[in-house]
Amino acid sequence: MILAIAAARGLYFAALMLLFGSAAFEVLLKKQLPFVAPVLLPRRGMLLAALAAALVWFALAAAQMADAADLATIRLAATATLFGNLFVLRVAVLLGLLLLPARRLTGTAVLAAAALSLPSATSHAATASPAGLAATGTILDAVHLLTCGFWIGGLAVLIALFRRKDPNMLQVLSLFSDTALVAVLLLAMTGMINIVTILLVGNHVRAPVYLAVLGAKLALVGIMLALALVNRFALTEAGEHPKIARNAVIELGLGLIVVLLAGLLGQLSPVQ
Amino acid sequence: MKKIVLLMLLATSPAFAHAKLVNSDPAANSNVKSPSMIKLSFSETLEPAFSTATLTDGAGRTVPVPRSVGGATITLLPIGLKPGAYKVNWQAVGHDTHKLSGSFGFKVIP
Repeated sequence: MILAIAAARGLYFAALMLLFGSAAFEVLLKKQLPFVAPVLLPRRGMLLAALAAALVWFALAAAQMADAADLATIRLAATATLFGNLFVLRVAVLLGLLLLPARRLTGTAVLAAAALSLPSATSHAATASPAGLAATGTILDAVHLLTCGFWIGGLAVLIALFRRKDPNMLQVLSLFSDTALVAVLLLAMTGMINIVTILLVGNHVRAPVYLAVLGAKLALVGIMLALALVNRFALTEAGEHPKIARNAVIELGLGLIVVLLAGLLGQLSPVQ
Repeated sequence: MKKIVLLMLLATSPAFAHAKLVNSDPAANSNVKSPSMIKLSFSETLEPAFSTATLTDGAGRTVPVPRSVGGATITLLPIGLKPGAYKVNWQAVGHDTHKLSGSFGFKVIP
């Protein structure tokens, strides 16, 4: 049950991060480099994946809460729990996204950001926050998800531009480096605060499985950061575009694994 | 700024990321006079629809008691508990949808 919920959770976040990040970076490209033709990644596939993952995640979470999987349980979970209320809102936002024309990039970015960050109110960061600071935990978790989304979705756009051999790659790379750097700094900062809140406050025994998954996640993020730094400070200067493209693909692949691990972390108990 | 955030985190009571029982009245394994209220305090806000507690006597029979769930607390309101051993079984679901359960006993003395 835990692995199934973790997989659904990870898929939901991965699909929405790609959707939000790609739309947000394309909005930025349109404003800063209007001569770059839009990429418009296949949005419907990401949306349907997010919608299916949301439904599975909710049904499994309801069954987990009640030890039952009947219609009455599903209805009670949807109407009488915070997770359920937010689920209904998320589905409404996703349906709104399905109706939105693909070229409405700003609308796509805003709605995808809402769907991506709504589960933050029921995250470990929110529920583990000391009394009175749940809202702070929610905001920190939302910023963590959105900045990760910008990084991963931006990489997807970058890879698509490399594939079509866009003539403006140098300017695009420069714009991505500058904005992704801010996103990664915020990502690291909120991640560190979340770790302190969830794990380091209080004198409790930490769960070894949680620590192992967190360690694997941090190791992969370390590799992603190293690749990003090599791209930014060595390869971009040298104009090594094929190597940058290869590293971007590896970074994106690692990023998606990190998101799946984050999905699992959300289901594990941090302390014994 | 970092110091202020750390101080805020360290100065307040910690939570556990799952709703754990942090305190009960009567306390576990205690001997008390017939209580008019049994209060279970958890580490985080509970989902009332899926959180509950029941009371059983020494023979394992369920003792019917009114109960309420609010915030991070489950309250049972027993009336006239006779001397003997009792057990409270609880199930707590937090906003993160994770469920924990447990039990503790206490003894009512004349």
